[in-house]
Amino acid sequence: MKLATIGVGNAGSKVIDRMVEFEQATGRDLCRHTLVINTARTDLAKPEHVPEDRRLLIGETHKKAKGHGVGGDAAIGAEVAQTEIDDIRRIFDDVEIHEVDAILVAAGLGGGTGSGAAPVVIEELQKMYDEPVYGLGMLPGEYEGGRPALNAARSLQSFVNKVDNFVAFDNDAWRSRGQTIEEGYEEMNRELATRIVTLLAAGEVDESEVGENAMDSSDIMRTMEVGGVSSIGYASTGVDTPDDGLLSRFSEEEVSNMESTDAAKIKGLVRRAVNSRLTVPCGVASAERALIIFAGPPGEISRKGVESARDWLEQETETVDVLAGDDPRTDSDTLAAVVLLSNVTDTPRINEIQDQAVDAQDTIQQQEAVREEEIESLITDDDNDLDPIV
Amino acid sequence: MKLSLFGVGDAGTRLVDKLLRAEVETGRNFTDGNVLAFNTAAEAFGETDALPEERQILIGDTHSAVNQYVEPADDSPDTDTASATDRDRSPGVAGDPELGAEVADDELPEIRRALDLVDDTEVDAAMIVAGLGGGTGCGVGSVLLAELKSIYEIPVYVLGALPAADESDERAHTAARAIRTCVPLADAVLPVDNEAWARSTQPLTEQYDEINEMVATRMLSLFAAGESEPATVSEMRIDPADVMRTLAVGGLSSVGHATIEVDTSDEGLFARLMQLLGLAEETPDTQTDAATIKRLVRSALNSKLTLPCDIESTDRVLVILSGPPSAISRKGFETGRYLLEEETGTVEVLAGDEPLPNAGEITATVLFSNVTDVSRVDKLQKRAVAYQRGQNDETAVVDTATSTDGATTISADERATDDDSDQPFEFHEPEAQHENGDTSGDTANTADNNVAGEPMATDDSAAETPADADTDLEGDDANTAAATSSDEHE
Repeated sequence: MKLATIGVGNAGSKVIDRMVEFEQATGRDLCRHTLVINTARTDLAKPEHVPEDRRLLIGETHKKAKGHGVGGDAAIGAEVAQTEIDDIRRIFDDVEIHEVDAILVAAGLGGGTGSGAAPVVIEELQKMYDEPVYGLGMLPGEYEGGRPALNAARSLQSFVNKVDNFVAFDNDAWRSRGQTIEEGYEEMNRELATRIVTLLAAGEVDESEVGENAMDSSDIMRTMEVGGVSSIGYASTGVDTPDDGLLSRFSEEEVSNMESTDAAKIKGLVRRAVNSRLTVPCGVASAERALIIFAGPPGEISRKGVESARDWLEQETETVDVLAGDDPRTDSDTLAAVVLLSNVTDTPRINEIQDQAVDAQDTIQQQEAVREEEIESLITDDDNDLDPIV
Repeated sequence: MKLSLFGVGDAGTRLVDKLLRAEVETGRNFTDGNVLAFNTAAEAFGETDALPEERQILIGDTHSAVNQYVEPADDSPDTDTASATDRDRSPGVAGDPELGAEVADDELPEIRRALDLVDDTEVDAAMIVAGLGGGTGCGVGSVLLAELKSIYEIPVYVLGALPAADESDERAHTAARAIRTCVPLADAVLPVDNEAWARSTQPLTEQYDEINEMVATRMLSLFAAGESEPATVSEMRIDPADVMRTLAVGGLSSVGHATIEVDTSDEGLFARLMQLLGLAEETPDTQTDAATIKRLVRSALNSKLTLPCDIESTDRVLVILSGPPSAISRKGFETGRYLLEEETGTVEVLAGDEPLPNAGEITATVLFSNVTDVSRVDKLQKRAVAYQRGQNDETAVVDTATSTDGATTISADERATDDDSDQPFEFHEPEAQHENGDTSGDTANTADNNVAGEPMATDDSAAETPADADTDLEGDDANTAAATSSDEHE
């Protein structure tokens, strides 16, 4: 697939940046166009793989944003994007849309810019183009608090209604000890980039090594066209190429899989992809469609294994709509299985966020209701005897 | 974020000077030289180090009531060394906020000319810094606040010192009125409670420097976060919009602060290596430990706040962790943030960091915005009301005795006379009045006296209107102002 990618807000921009980094490192060519949009000038300086002229600062003239972000306020994020929609539209003039198959908009749903501005951008893209627009959204963890949960719950509705498919990523499922704020979400972003790029880049190497089982962009798009929320599973194993023998010796995964027969190895990889951390935890059986892509040296992909893996996933997802195919990568030193579970409806984490959001909204409304009264009562004495100076 | 600072009065001038010194010391360039100080007496201007002379604006020196220097004739226990601007003897407006406001009104052209020296388009917000118990701080500060609000689009904050218990009742009265004045006008007011920070063993004047140092540390950690050069990129850097959104709800705000040392030296690395090799006995106590960061946030939460208050009454919270980003656990950062949400009961908790790669410590600064349960303010108001009632009773007696009604041009002379005669009353009156107020709070006389007393002091003010109408109007104004400001900045 060939993509135009747009990162909105800090988290979205970082993911796009990592996607480009990953595709460059693995010789893929997925992101034909990259663009990052942000309300904070400092954050816009962070991406390393996005050219200067593909970074758009919005809200510089907005009296509350001024190029300094929106303070986690989704309403301002949306307002700013709406006000500067012409600038946003203009930057798409450079995008030769006939060269891409789809557009991907990535955003963190907990922050103000991502949750507020991204749906506005998506709406505009849907108006402008016939190509599908996919969303990639990072859901805030429970510990990020009530306000981000509220932003996310509200933004999720806009996202899912407006995009052709929404791939969710749950920060909580990927949270780990020992990371410092310097590393921030780097590790998570890399994991996510690996998954999304491995999935969507399949079928873009049209001219070389096209096997009869090669996955086509249209297969992926067909799986995604059902809409809703999707989750991605991923597992990889080192492959023994003579050059990389020394390196891949360090791969634990490989060691455990060495003795397996090729077919069992393939099936095991898929099981692991689905049962290990999905981008958003979900009931696999609730998926409407599913797709498996094997990315790696064609010689490593056993036909028998692919078939048994597909059968297994059909049972797990309780759907016959399971596609399986290859993304041949001759020079790759890993074999990866990536599983797309499209339109999963059983996602406990989203329910939790919604509950947290409802509580947060109640708290916020209660505070707003008494705010002026409480300030007034604090600053006036009991009998209101004290007068202001001016 | 970038702030312009406006010191008003002695205390304000000294504190601005301290903030500027801290700016230099910490390398956080947050004012870009956008500073001014206004005073009605040149005294405090002589004490400044970092505040450029051309930024020190003396106003009111030609006003007839100003600089009527009164010798400290009778010493009352109130007028100790602590009250540097005690009205009876201090130069300037002699502690009279009405006079301060009048002077500022008269000198608005001069003030506006000075304001041209400050570029409001280069800063994110403006901050008035004043002692709220002082005649200049409160009076001039209030007029300046109204002026800045009318000409600026950026938020205007007030950093104001509240008088300690051993300062005069008059100062308490002035400060209570200053709060009443500033909160509806300003986008946020950050009071500093001298009572909480003063040590009773020392005269307050000798502690100003220490208290100002404390305030400067907190204000820079909060407002100047991320302004040090060269700026380091950080994933969760605090943006000016975060601070402004937190303060946008208005009201009174309070700041907590705590610091821990970190090992960023080779020694730390060595210790870690020893642990890795199993050569060190102690549990892995690296600063990246999530629990350490959570503990730090808890210490800041429990620290002595700039304005002691019930943090559960806060509306919005902001926490900034300043320190080497490689030493701050992200999980600790998140759990620390969540702790604040749990402890304060608000869901509006923003968190960010200020990356200081070479710092030897991690600092947690917590802003509690719009705290509404502040016993200190209630106490201040009670004291102020008692004082005001005492004053009014006194005025009423004087009125009936000498029939000096319609005295529209009461000058400082007369006020000084009043003050002198008031002094003895200040000590037993509050108690008596308090009782009086409790037993017969609905007595119309008391209220009338208060209203009648006010115009005497504020001859040109609108206080002549009936108390109820006036009050309603003020209330409406306050609501509108606050509503507008929250619209603008939310």
